[in-house]
Amino acid sequence: MQNTEILLIKEKSKKRFCIKRLVGKGKPYIFIGPLSLLLFTFYVIPIFLSIYFSFTDYNIIKKPEFIGVSNYSDLLLDKTFKASLRNTFLFTLGVVPAQTIFSLVMASWLVSRGKSRLTEFVKGAMFIPVISSMVLVSIVWRILLNGEGSPLNLILNVLNITQPNWLGDSSIVLFVLMGITVWKNTGYFMILYIAGLMEIPKNYTEAAKVDGAGRWNVFYYITLPLLKPTTIMVVFLGMVWSLQTFDLIYTLTGGGPGNSSMTLVLHIYNNAFKNLNAGYAMTVANILLLFSSIAAIVQKSFLKKEKSEVY
Amino acid sequence: MKKQLGRLVLILIASFMIIPFLYMFMTSLRVTYTAYNFKFVLDDLTLKNYREIFYNTSFIIYFLNSLFISLSGVLLTVVFSSMAGYAFAKLEFRGREKIFFFMLMTLIIPSQVTLLPLYVIMRHLGWLNTYMALILPLPTAVGVFIMRQSILKVPRDLMDAARIDGCSEFRIFMEVVLPLIKPAIIALSIFTFIGAWNEFLWPLIATTSNSMRTLTVGMASMNAQYSVNYGLVMAGATMTFLPSFIFYILLQKQFEEGVALSGLKG
Repeated sequence: MQNTEILLIKEKSKKRFCIKRLVGKGKPYIFIGPLSLLLFTFYVIPIFLSIYFSFTDYNIIKKPEFIGVSNYSDLLLDKTFKASLRNTFLFTLGVVPAQTIFSLVMASWLVSRGKSRLTEFVKGAMFIPVISSMVLVSIVWRILLNGEGSPLNLILNVLNITQPNWLGDSSIVLFVLMGITVWKNTGYFMILYIAGLMEIPKNYTEAAKVDGAGRWNVFYYITLPLLKPTTIMVVFLGMVWSLQTFDLIYTLTGGGPGNSSMTLVLHIYNNAFKNLNAGYAMTVANILLLFSSIAAIVQKSFLKKEKSEVY
Repeated sequence: MKKQLGRLVLILIASFMIIPFLYMFMTSLRVTYTAYNFKFVLDDLTLKNYREIFYNTSFIIYFLNSLFISLSGVLLTVVFSSMAGYAFAKLEFRGREKIFFFMLMTLIIPSQVTLLPLYVIMRHLGWLNTYMALILPLPTAVGVFIMRQSILKVPRDLMDAARIDGCSEFRIFMEVVLPLIKPAIIALSIFTFIGAWNEFLWPLIATTSNSMRTLTVGMASMNAQYSVNYGLVMAGATMTFLPSFIFYILLQKQFEEGVALSGLKG
């Protein structure tokens, strides 16, 4: 009798424990559920759709028709694709080193001068292009470059230089666009570098100075290696952003003149919404995904190597 | 002397960053644009351009759309990210590390790659030209990363104390954890707002009706439509710039912390 009672109580408590544990177990999934659902619907499913549609003839309205790899073989014949690939690479190759070096120089300069009204002002000024939208930046620069009374052309006038056709000359247009991009992004990366510089313990650099190392040597042998994780991040983000360039080109040049400023994402857009060939557009998008994934894998392996070296 | 030269160079660089925006503002205050006239004559100043964009174009609709979408995006991102961040930082469950890793993996997917499939999905759901299509895709995994990092720093003792007092997991989250991670929440809010406010490609393809367009898209078409009316375009640009700028001036420090937080993801 007593035994059964005890057993019953035990059974009951076990049950209650189980229910509580079940609820407790479910709770974390309630916490992560909403975000997981959104990310799954808007990132994971699209990737599979993009891969699927790239093997079809599809224009968004009609039913997709399976055509094998012919979209991919079309890539090889597509001159505009080749131009967009070339421009995107050139763009990345020009922008990333420039903005990395410029932001590193500015960050170390500002940090070495210490906090003052001037350095705070410069920091704030560098960040203003960062917070404004690329569309706005494009519009302002269009008028700066083309407007007859713009400060830029006034300076050129004073120096007696004929104003080049900034956006209409196919030999310089890509460089102009690179310049605007560097001008816009540097402030962001500078803040990253400043955060990285602040984390370097003062006694490292001071010890080196005591040992008689010059400022340049301290920077080259101590600061720069310690900033490596930040640099990896800056280069990676810079690459990914450059690969995705769209707003600037769409607003300023539309890819022209000719195809001289055509980029991958603009090519995707044109194919999907102008040529009504969404299947092919997604094929180009998959190539872009491939490049970003390679960049991410390279970044990860660099970071891993970095960690194993430091710790 | 050397120091003076350094100061001068720094001021030059800062001016190079600011002058385009000053030029934008100054141009927006002038109506007749005379060539080679860079003089800033006070008598010429007028608010006519601003009156015109608010009365004659759909500008006010674009502005309100952008504002509504950005604010909703902030709310959605902050709520969902902090919930998920809390689970990843403080709760034990099966597959925690794996799910977190997969979430971060979505960060390497360029949004330009997912845009077309997303367009197809939204079309099937009948959500094109609705706020749903413009708001729901806004949260990214950056938020959950930032939230997890800062919630990890919340001492477990505090939460255990609350648990002993009989607080439910949800109340612990609301009343103990959230107030302690306020700086991270502010940083995430700012970034989500600016990101949503400046977003261009997705609103461009997801909206076709004028009443659903956002400021960036509206600005781009205004730029094409009134390409020679510099004053009018610049007035629109100034209004687009202002909210982010005010945000930045008020919260400069949080901005910089936010960059450091979101940038240094592993």
